[in-house]
Amino acid sequence: MASRESGRVKDAEKRRVLDDAARKRRARKAIEALELDNFHEDPHADLVMSKKVPKFADSNEKPTRKKKAKSAEYYKMRFRKTFAQLVEEDASFRPEPPNYLSAQVPPSKFPDRHFCAVCGFPSNYTCIPCGARYCCVRCLGTHLDTRCLKWTA
Amino acid sequence: MSETSCYILDNGAYTAKVGFSTSEPKVVPNCIMKAKSERRRPFIGSQIEECRDASGLFYILPFQKGFLINWDTQKTVWDFIFSKECCPVNFSETPLIITEPLFNFSSIQEAMTEIFFEEYECQSLLRINATDLAEYNYRKTNNNECTVVVDSGYSYTYIVPYVKGKKYKDGIRRIDVGGKVLTNHLKEIISYRQLNVMEESYVINQVKEDSCFVSQDFMKDMEIARKKDSSNTIVKDYVLPDYTTIRRGYLRDVVRPDEDLEQQTLRMNNERFSIPELLFRPSDVGIPQMGIPEAIMHSINSCPEENRESLLENIVLYGGNTMFPGFRDRVYMEVRALALDHYDVNVSRGDNPVTYAWEGGKMMFRDPDFYSFCVTREEYEEEGKALAYERFDI
Repeated sequence: MASRESGRVKDAEKRRVLDDAARKRRARKAIEALELDNFHEDPHADLVMSKKVPKFADSNEKPTRKKKAKSAEYYKMRFRKTFAQLVEEDASFRPEPPNYLSAQVPPSKFPDRHFCAVCGFPSNYTCIPCGARYCCVRCLGTHLDTRCLKWTA
Repeated sequence: MSETSCYILDNGAYTAKVGFSTSEPKVVPNCIMKAKSERRRPFIGSQIEECRDASGLFYILPFQKGFLINWDTQKTVWDFIFSKECCPVNFSETPLIITEPLFNFSSIQEAMTEIFFEEYECQSLLRINATDLAEYNYRKTNNNECTVVVDSGYSYTYIVPYVKGKKYKDGIRRIDVGGKVLTNHLKEIISYRQLNVMEESYVINQVKEDSCFVSQDFMKDMEIARKKDSSNTIVKDYVLPDYTTIRRGYLRDVVRPDEDLEQQTLRMNNERFSIPELLFRPSDVGIPQMGIPEAIMHSINSCPEENRESLLENIVLYGGNTMFPGFRDRVYMEVRALALDHYDVNVSRGDNPVTYAWEGGKMMFRDPDFYSFCVTREEYEEEGKALAYERFDI
């Protein structure tokens, strides 16, 4: 007996669905993007601002300065610490709350609201493959074409 | 010691507010910017006003996540601020008040003390939280007992309760949403929906400032924004700057049918109020934190019960984000709804929200005990950084 099967069910099995970990990764990336100072690269990165050419002084005497103003570069080296290092240091220096980490507010007790990922209006539906929200068939179409599994825009 | 004026530097993560206590403050971008149009020259602080084409600006900021991390950038900007070009000062004759973020890390505090005493040769120095200055400003004006200070800036929003002029540290709350998150989110949604503006932080920040407002009834405004006819009172067009005739963009009504004005515009609809909404509901973009009114209540409820009444009556807002139209009313409305019925609630916004803390510094300099808050150069040389760390309650 030839097996009868539904084309829709067969297709559905082939369709890739993002798992929970991938969805969380996407959400985390979206939040991280909100913290960026710049999206693009330094437009002058390829320029050499100060060429290292010998500077010819008028006299051969070494310049004698009473108090040497330290350069910006000096302070960069002197106090070089990343944000992560500082947070770690603070955890051992000020272990008891209140401190930087304890001051963060806890999650809200109000329920989350959902908005269409395409147009921004309140949404009632969730995209099955990726979990994004949408509000109508038109927005779903745009979403599938641009951002669902392949992030094109 | 009785100098007639004091130099006040409210060193924000995006703008520094600077000036002598005898004059008005200047607002200077606390960063170095590079423009695509001028290849040879970085713009330091307010030099950006000389830049003809501010599209595609690249920011180099001294602050990261609200803390001073990039000292080379900060040193360059400070050198500019203290120079003749901006607001010249002789620190050997003038005391300095400089602000720092709450819970500033100890090694950053040490670096601050060192750089001002040794590099800039300060005579007397007062390092203080900007919220302390704002609270001082509010308390001296209103003569009240307790205050809740809400500082909504570029990197964060902080809520700090004060009891009799002293901050109640267990009640300090931080929401990781500030102006930067709002601008970046606006950039993201405009780039997806209309026009790629991912590289235009500077311009989109202006779009945000010129067109966003805080909704008083979010779901109702969503319904209005959905309408396609003239009953949609929210939709507007934002004319983008072209840097030949228009230097700063502006909001205008949607012109129908579209004239060929040859202007590049952005259609602003639900974007106008869903952006500032993030301050009230960070969960809208997946940041699992409370919004401002809820956090205010969370903070007040962690304070001693006998102070809560006074705290609710004296909530003061300042910082750039509080300039969105409707911000104060919305905070008041929600706090009123969340607070117990028999308490009075009073929310006010600093007269000039950006320089509110700076003005507090001006008032603090007139305090008869001002010099007892400071550390002098002699004290520093005698006892070193430990003294500064003890005396300044950061």
